[in-house]
Amino acid sequence: MGLILAILVALFLLLPIVIVVPMSFSTAISFEFPPPGYSLGYYAKYFTSEEWLEPTLNSVVIALGATVLTMLLVVPAAFGYVRYRFRGKAFVNLLMMAPLVVPHVVSALAYYGFLGRARLTGTHLGVIVAHGVLAVPVAFLVITATLKGFDRNLERAAMSSGAGPLRTFFHVTLPVLRPGMLVGALFAFLSSFNEAVVVIFIGGRQATTLPRKMYESIRLESDPVIAVVSTLLVSAVVLGVLVSVFLRRRPAHAT
Amino acid sequence: MARGLKREHAAAWLLLGPSSVALTLLFVLPIGLMLVTSLTDPRVSLAHYQRIFTVPLYTHVMLNTFVTSLIVTALCLVLGYPVAYVMARRSDWVSTALLTIVAMSFWTGFLVRTYAWLVILGSKGPVVATYQALGLGGPAPKLLFTSFASTLGMTHILLPYMILALFAVMKKIEPEHLKAAASLGARPLAAFGEVFLPLSLPGVVNGSLLVFVSCLGFFVTPILLGTPRDMMISQLINQQIEELLAWGFASAVAVVLLVATGLILAVYNRFAGLDRLWG
Repeated sequence: MGLILAILVALFLLLPIVIVVPMSFSTAISFEFPPPGYSLGYYAKYFTSEEWLEPTLNSVVIALGATVLTMLLVVPAAFGYVRYRFRGKAFVNLLMMAPLVVPHVVSALAYYGFLGRARLTGTHLGVIVAHGVLAVPVAFLVITATLKGFDRNLERAAMSSGAGPLRTFFHVTLPVLRPGMLVGALFAFLSSFNEAVVVIFIGGRQATTLPRKMYESIRLESDPVIAVVSTLLVSAVVLGVLVSVFLRRRPAHAT
Repeated sequence: MARGLKREHAAAWLLLGPSSVALTLLFVLPIGLMLVTSLTDPRVSLAHYQRIFTVPLYTHVMLNTFVTSLIVTALCLVLGYPVAYVMARRSDWVSTALLTIVAMSFWTGFLVRTYAWLVILGSKGPVVATYQALGLGGPAPKLLFTSFASTLGMTHILLPYMILALFAVMKKIEPEHLKAAASLGARPLAAFGEVFLPLSLPGVVNGSLLVFVSCLGFFVTPILLGTPRDMMISQLINQQIEELLAWGFASAVAVVLLVATGLILAVYNRFAGLDRLWG
């Protein structure tokens, strides 16, 4: 009984994601399902049109920039937060988590006003700053969790064997923490890559990302190329999830 | 001792200082400026707030946002509970398959999923085609650009959050508890109702809070699938900025949304501790 319900709900989750695949091979000029015929026409259009390739490139550039900014903000803060006791710790935690607590539409309006005053709306830098800050909480959670699990005896052993603090940091601390750092960076990247609210407000023509382009394409023109983009994005997600499931099932591997 | 503590303080602030300053300047300041705008644009007054809470058009938006969020939360709970239950109670390929599907849905962007519903519910979509094929008579009911479409889309998008929040709590429930209940003569349904359900309640609270709060400020899906006649708060903010450039009023609406979200999370923090929500 429970199992049947669970399978039905799983289908409800899955089918809408699957439906974009046949749509991408369609010959219809609007959103029509089932497709009247099949072709690779919209793939050709996607891979040759500036209109879609530029937002794709923007998405990658902005997500990379945001990841760098997030890591610069989070890594030192996470070390300070986990390893020291100090007054105002709860306040620092609240500050680092604030972008997660504030609804994105509120942040979006706030950035629209703020970056507008700084003449940074419609620029890559503006979107990178906003996305970099918005990804702080998720990266902070992952990296502080990694740091809490770190055995400081490893550092003490290195120091007592004669390694200096820097040498210890780069040869012992960092290699052990690397997987956690990479997961934090990956989450920051995906947070920016999928972000659709702030960029709709502040992206403008110049810094349009894929989610913003998809939003406009649905609102203004119903361009079927969106099915191609969706299919490519879904394929990437399926690949990523399957790889992570496979890695998790492999036993006795340090994570 | 005091000196060592002082040095420790210095090291902590050297590491935390730059990030704290950056977040204050790049996040708290923009929000603060928005708050100021809500009180001063075009002139210093509380008029925007007064309008939000007295003009029927806007009180309707507030009420509609609240009710829609409740409906979406209830739907996510009803749909998500059995999935999380099966995922937590089994440890075979079914559990792995369900988790894989939930993760795929979780990581697929809002826009992709909203687009998919646009196709499914559209006038050339499978639902309308089925309706016509069955010959139920009359024109097919309008599905797209209704509150129904918007509610369905948001439920679909937020369901994975609910399932993952429930699963996180349920997988820690010891199977021995249920076995003990069974060995004491409880029927499966009673064992579930008396033992499993109460132990899963923290997950129900976490998931419901997460979905409800996300829904209050949901942006993309209500705008693309819903109707301006039954606006949600984020649609109102968008409309005020995009069509009217009413900065002061839009900011005031955003502040109301922020305060409502903050109050709900503060109550949760008082009783459960916020850290547990994302833990």
